[in-house]
Parts: sequence; C-alpha cells; structure tokens
Amino acid sequence: MLKETKTDVLDYLVKQLPKATAFINAKLEIVYVSDKWIEDFNFADKSIIGTPIYELFDTIDDDKRALLERCLLGMPKQVVTESYVDETNREKWFEWTYTPWFDASENIIGLILQTDLVCEKVSLEQEVERLELLVKTKSEIAKIGSWEYDAINDSLGWCEMTRTIHEVPKSYIPSIEEAINFYKEGTSRTAISKIVKDAIKNGKPWSKRLQLVTAKGKEIWVVVSGKPRYTKGKFVGLIGTFQDVTSHIKSEIKTKESEHLLRTVIDNLPLNVFIKDLNNRKTLVNQSECNYLGVKSPEEVLGKTDFDFYDEATALISHEEDFRVIHQLKPILGKEYISIKKDGTTTSFLSSKIPLFNEEGGVTGIVGFSLDISHIKQKEEEMRNLINVTSLQNKKLINFAHIVSHNLRSHTANFSMLLEFLMNEKDEAEKQNILNMLADASDNLLETLDNLNEVVAINTNTNLTKQPVRVTDKVIHVQQNLSAFLKKHKAKIINKIPVDLTINGIPAYVESILMNFITNAVKYQHPNRDPRIELNASQSEHQTTISISDNGLGIDLAKYGDKLFGMYKTFHEHSDARGIGLYITKNQIEAMNGKISTESEVNKGTTFNIYFNETD
Amino acid sequence: MRQINSICIIDDDPITVFGIKKILSTVVDCKNINTFKNGKLAIEGIQHTLDAHEEIPDIIFLDINMPIMDGWEFLDAFIKLSIDKIVKINIITSSIDPFDMHKSEIFRQKTKHAISFRNKPISKKEIQEITIAA
Repeated sequence: MLKETKTDVLDYLVKQLPKATAFINAKLEIVYVSDKWIEDFNFADKSIIGTPIYELFDTIDDDKRALLERCLLGMPKQVVTESYVDETNREKWFEWTYTPWFDASENIIGLILQTDLVCEKVSLEQEVERLELLVKTKSEIAKIGSWEYDAINDSLGWCEMTRTIHEVPKSYIPSIEEAINFYKEGTSRTAISKIVKDAIKNGKPWSKRLQLVTAKGKEIWVVVSGKPRYTKGKFVGLIGTFQDVTSHIKSEIKTKESEHLLRTVIDNLPLNVFIKDLNNRKTLVNQSECNYLGVKSPEEVLGKTDFDFYDEATALISHEEDFRVIHQLKPILGKEYISIKKDGTTTSFLSSKIPLFNEEGGVTGIVGFSLDISHIKQKEEEMRNLINVTSLQNKKLINFAHIVSHNLRSHTANFSMLLEFLMNEKDEAEKQNILNMLADASDNLLETLDNLNEVVAINTNTNLTKQPVRVTDKVIHVQQNLSAFLKKHKAKIINKIPVDLTINGIPAYVESILMNFITNAVKYQHPNRDPRIELNASQSEHQTTISISDNGLGIDLAKYGDKLFGMYKTFHEHSDARGIGLYITKNQIEAMNGKISTESEVNKGTTFNIYFNETD
Repeated sequence: MRQINSICIIDDDPITVFGIKKILSTVVDCKNINTFKNGKLAIEGIQHTLDAHEEIPDIIFLDINMPIMDGWEFLDAFIKLSIDKIVKINIITSSIDPFDMHKSEIFRQKTKHAISFRNKPISKKEIQEITIAA
C-alpha cells in the first residue's frame, strides 16, 4: 500500500514537472511522464504508460536503443538531438537527455528522459552554415580570402581562398612570420611588418595594396586588410581579408599607361585639341590650347565655354558651328577662320570639328582640332605683295622692252631705207642729201641710246642708298645752275619749303627731279605771263610731300593724264620737247619708293606733288 | 604711171617722210602730197580741205607715236568726219607691240575706211601694193 501510495505520489510529482520528462524502466517501458512531455509529443489521447519508448518514436532506431541500453548499464548522461514529426507533419527538433534513474541503493532501475524543444537553436546553426556557404561562394567568386590570427595561441588561420592565392597546399598552416615573408622583399614586406605590429600594439585597422610572391614564385598584387579583435576589452587577435588584385592592377596600369600615352601625344601635337560637351563646355584641352588661351593648366579651362575666352563675335560663330556639328552630326573639316580673343589677339586657324559618340552611338559632344596658320597667312600675304610688286615690275619691264624695241627699230628702219636709196641713187647731190640724213639718223640713235641708258641706270642702281636730303639746298643749287635760263625767261621761283626740311632720298635724283620740273615749268610757260614757280612742302609721320606749282600752259589731264609720264610723249608744240624728261623723273621717284600725282588746268597752270616715303 | 589725186603723210620723223615721198615719186604720179608732223596738224589740215570742198586724200600714211596727237587719236577724229569716199589709211609704225596691231583691228571694224598695219621700214613693193588698189 505504502508502495502504492509512494507510486501514486511519485506519479503525481512527475506529472507536474515543468520540463518534459519521462521515466522508463529497464525494459525501456514508460513508467512516469510529465504532462509537458505528453503535450510536446501529443500523446494526450493515448495510453502510453507501459509502452516501450522505441514503439512511440520511429527515430529510436537500433543505434539509439543500444545507447539507451548502455546508459542503463551506467554510462553517464547523454545528450542527443532528434527531429520529431507530429500529426500535422510539422518537424520539431528536440534535445534528449538520457540520465540513469537510481533507486535508494544506487541501483540503476531505469532512465530519466528529458526533452527540450530546440527548433530555434537548430535553425540558427543552419543559418550559420548557410552564411558560411555564402561567404565561401563569395570568396571564390570575388577571389577574396580571409585570415585570422589568434594572439592567445599565436596561430594563424587561412581560408581556402587565401591559401589558393598563396599557391600553397590545403594542408599548409603558416606562422605569422612565414605569412609576412610571402610579401615581396623591400617596400611591401617592410610595410606589412610595420602594419601588423602597429595593429597588434595600437589596434589600428588597415587595408593596403602590396606585392607578394606566391609559393610558386609568381609575383602578384594583393589587397590585405585587417582589424584587431577584442574579447571583453582584451586583444585576442586579428581578422581580415585577402584579395588578389593583380589583374585589376594590371589593367589599371595599362589604362594609366594608355592615358599617359594619349596625354603625351595630344600635349605634344603642334595642334590645339579640345573636347566640348553638349553644353559647349570644354571637357578636355591639350597643352597647345592652354598655351594659346594663356593658362597654365587645363583646370583653368575645363567647364568653361568659348564666351569666357573669345570676343563676342568669335564665340558666337564657334557656338553656332558646335551646334551644327552636334545636331547634324556632320563634321566640319579644314575650315579657315580668324579667332579673336578677349584681349584682342587675332589668330588664323585651320580648324576641324567632329561629333563625338559614346559606345551606344549617342552624341556626347565634339572634338576639335585647330592649327595655327597665322604665320602661313602672313607668308601668303607677303607672297601676294611680292607677286604684285613683281608683276608691276614685269609690266614695267615689258613696257620698257617695247620702248627700246620701238626706238631702235625706228632708227634701224631709217638706216635700212636710206642705205637702199643710196645704193640705187645716181644723182650725186641726192646722194649727199641721203648721206646727211644718215648722219642725222646716227646722231638720233646715239641720243636714244643715251636716254635708254639713263633709264636703265635708274632702274638698276637700286643699291644707291637713301639719306636725309635738305630740299632747300637742292633748290638753291638748281636755281644757280639755271640762273641764266631763268633770267632769260624772267622766271620767278618762290620757295616756301622750310629751310630745315629734309627728306629721305637719293641726293642726285632729288636735284634732277627739281631741275626737270622747274625747267618744264619755264619751257611750257604761258605766252601771256612770266613764269612763276612755287615750291611747297608738307610733312606727316609717314611721308613728305613736295609740291611744284606753275602758272604755265597747263595740260588737259582728261586727254593726256595716262601718257604724261610715258617715254617720248610730248603734248605741246615745242621744238625742245623730247618726251624723255618726265619719264626719267618718274623712274627716279619710283626708285626712291616715292609717288607722283598731277593737278592741272589748261591755261592756268600745273601742280606736281611728289610723295617721299619716310618709313623705309 | 598710176595717177592718184591726193596723198597725205602724217609722221614726225623727217627721214620717214623723205623715204615715203621718194618711193612714191617712183611708183605714182601725184601732184598733191601733203605732210603733217603730228595728228593734230593733220586733222586740222583735212578739216580745212573738207571745209574748202577740196580733194580729200585717197591714201594716208599714218605714224602712231607722235607728239601732241598720236596716230590713234587722229584715227578717232578722222573716222568721225563725214567723208563720202573710202580712204586707204596705212598705219606705218616701228612698233611691234601686239597691242598696237590689235588696236588697228578694232579701228578697222569701226569704220568703212580701209585700214592696214605695216612695220617700218616700208618697201617699194609695199607702196606699190598700197597705190595699185586705190
């Protein structure tokens, strides 16, 4: 009874245990169970007392039974985790604890089975497993390895990827010194030693790109990062990542090299190179463009537009061009234009603008090339001037050749005609007449040759140097030479040229010119009045003008203007007129780089203006 | 010998005038040969002849390069005169400038008068040709 009572009490006590608990006897039959146990395994509507435990749980296989048997034989407490699928097919995980059940005399009479629901714990473990897998996959794909240094045990752990990068076998376990020695001798190794020391001592985290030599002798670039670990404020080691960045570095170096090459090329091109975005802002300029814009570095130009550097008109033209290139996608090639900067500097450019496309084929701006052709333009201008001078001289030369030919021909024609007459002439008196004419023809020819010689001398003696000539001295000299002639014609000379006025000229020519004009003025005097010749001068920065005015016959310029200075052109019926004076005068003036102009009115008089160039 | 009523020589060079006259005396019979030293004197002389209703020259020998009024200016003035008959104008010049030849061509097209262009020295044969057709 007592036993009965005892059993009842025990039964009652076990029932109330807060933890799921079952007592089984040596036959593994359920003896007592807690309500919690029944609840956890849903045995409420089953009579389970006396049922062997292995009949209740499929999971208790032979192995488990053997384990239970061993516990019955005195093996200490065992913990087993098992899954249990309930009626609703939900899997639950339980941790079973097998503890021997002793009676009062320390005999094992059964086992106490306690179960804990461990679903959550298990899924956490699974999560860790999943994360580990993820990390591993990540590390394989990104080639990022990890490492861990345990300071307490002074041991270094490498993950698989870290070992792969080092090209060491899977079994390889490095020491911290060995790990450091993988780094390339010199900068890299010195750096890593210092960094690790610093991290251990001062807890400083790092990430550094270093060179490393693998176990197989391959030189690679790695990024190694690390940070110290602490447990309860105490340093326990280092943890970090390890990444092979060789290909990245290589392509970076290659990119840098090609960038450098490109920069070197465009900076040394004798061309202005620029790139503009769709808003006409410069995004790239080369050294030539910087020099042209008068800035030290491209940074001063980038982001700015043409309106910041050029005058309004130039910038506007350029802006319109850019717009056209961008919107019509048609390049402008080899266009000549004049560019004026804000400071007024003018440059001639040969320029091209080409639309710039991105990889998708969309236009992103324009690339421009400008070649400074100012010096070529200047040469072109000089050449054009030279051609003008040359063609003018050529024209003069042809003209002169015709004059020579004409004059010589007229004499030789006379010779040949007269000689023919002479040969056929019988009459002695006529023969003498013809001979006299031949003598005249000969004299005329000689005179003509003298005149031509004089003209040739003026045009070929270009090495006569110009010097300051005081005009008044020359006027006085001419007056003295012509004194008898002037007196005879009652000519009066009024010299209004300032006494000190000098011109840049050839003295002999200046005198000859004055002599010629004064003589002409008297020769072609008006029959009704005495000759009056007035000389005037005016001077500007570049030239001096000498004017010689007379009150003579005057010339009908509308009729004779273009022939006035021609050779052997005479316009007045005067026995002395030879038509050579003004021709020579004009040649002399031109030989001094001067010019001449005429104003005249018939019966009133003539004014000749002689312009002396003072700039050369 | 061929008879010609009136011949006119316009040239400032006395030797040329002498030469033409001398050759003419051997090829034609012309009582009326006038000479002028330049275009101005010639045009005045011809105008005078015209005014006096006298014989206009049948043949003119004309130099180009002359003072005061040259051969071209004379031609300009001459072709404006109202002369019924066709006058043979023979330009005799020492100029071989193609421009002068071209200019004579222009005058030829501008007038009914017969204009020819010859270089000095003029030969007897040429003067014969000139006088035959007149």
